[in-house]
Amino acid sequence: MEAPPVTVLPVTGGTINMMEYLLQGSVLDVSLESLLHRLRGLCDNMEPESFADHELVYLLKGQQGNPFILRARRSLLLPPSPWHLRYLGQPEVGDKSRHALVRNCVDVAASHSLPEFLNEMGFRMDHEFVAKGQVFRKGAMKVVVSKLSRILVPGNTENTEPLSLSYLVELSVLAPAGQDNVSEDMRSFAEQLKPLVHLEKIDPKRLM
Amino acid sequence: MSKDPRIQREEKQLEASLESLIARVAHLKGSLQSFIYKLENEYDRLTWPSVLDNFALLSGQLNTINKLLRNEKTPSYKSQVIIPLLLSPDRDEELAKLTEQRVPVFSHEIVPDHLRTKPDPEVEEQEKHLSAEAARIGPEVAQKQIQALNKLCSNLLEKLNNPRDDRDSETSALRQNKPSFNPADTNALVAAVGFGKGLSKCRPPGPVAPGHPGQPMMPAGPTLQQVTIAGATGHQAGMSGQVPPQQGQPGKMPSNIKTNIKSASASMHPYNR
Repeated sequence: MEAPPVTVLPVTGGTINMMEYLLQGSVLDVSLESLLHRLRGLCDNMEPESFADHELVYLLKGQQGNPFILRARRSLLLPPSPWHLRYLGQPEVGDKSRHALVRNCVDVAASHSLPEFLNEMGFRMDHEFVAKGQVFRKGAMKVVVSKLSRILVPGNTENTEPLSLSYLVELSVLAPAGQDNVSEDMRSFAEQLKPLVHLEKIDPKRLM
Repeated sequence: MSKDPRIQREEKQLEASLESLIARVAHLKGSLQSFIYKLENEYDRLTWPSVLDNFALLSGQLNTINKLLRNEKTPSYKSQVIIPLLLSPDRDEELAKLTEQRVPVFSHEIVPDHLRTKPDPEVEEQEKHLSAEAARIGPEVAQKQIQALNKLCSNLLEKLNNPRDDRDSETSALRQNKPSFNPADTNALVAAVGFGKGLSKCRPPGPVAPGHPGQPMMPAGPTLQQVTIAGATGHQAGMSGQVPPQQGQPGKMPSNIKTNIKSASASMHPYNR
């Protein structure tokens, strides 16, 4: 299986194409505690990390067709830490038997002048949201349980309202392209979280 | 003068029963000692089942002692009287050896404790209270209470002894009634993270009918949803190398869209991709 071409290469010169394998699900607020207990038991033994992030999604529309999307994320808990810029490609339309959503992924850290820089480059912010929750790790797998909140006044992260009565649960692995055993491992981990959460491959295009 | 044979028999019985009682009590003492030793020295390695075993052993030994005391062959100890004949403050080696150094002196201090026949004053008080209570409620009420207690115990025993499957099916039925996730919420959250559904400043129009490609889709700052819904053709330098799936529209875009886009981008973006 060949890796899809990535035409945006970092300045430091070529790198391995990293793919993000993703499974998503949700859990109701009332069942959150049981899910957290189960994750504490299943995942690596460390204090679960809490996070509160503000994510902005920037759009660069080109000559035709799909705009280019970049996601910029900053921490609300640790304001001095650098911004995190991420590019996510389209999901690979591989064989249907693969259990996880696979897409190209490029992550870089950026300084605090990132929003102005993106604006100067021609990107426009499309939407933003606040995500608060916890991160668990098991080996290479990462489980993120987060509450998404809508920002009512643009730029004001204090004034938010939750999007729904559920927490989003995402199981992801960053691995080089072409490793299919990763999705097998993810599927067996997802089995252990049933029936609390159903983690599955959700194609965002279906939900448009 | 020879003793009365009946008295002789009684004496023999007393001796025999005392001996067996002493033996049983010695067993009990031994198991208590080992249990205490285990608790004091091996408490970190001790498991609950082994503690339960110890308690079971003690309870069994107490049971045998009880049975022994209830035995018909055992004479009533209440009719026997023990009177200390000699009390001295001196240390008695024989006694010390017999009692494993616990009672070295047979003096005035230890006699009230060791030769006690009445229970402690508090215990006596409680017993008096209980018997007064029992006398007060009368026999019928007492009988009813006994029956109620028996019924409760038998119910509990039945529940405990019944096969586990009954209980499991009940609990699993209960669990199914409370779903812990909502698929609609899942979709809403994934859509929000994926492309900002419900988050954009311009309210999303929902799936636009694919038969309107001719509409100018280029207001200033088109939202992500509007552009992606309109579909796309062809490869775009700088885009990811995948052709996104069409929305049931195999026909190609008419060229007026292209020109619109070109003109807009030429003016807005000096850096062409």
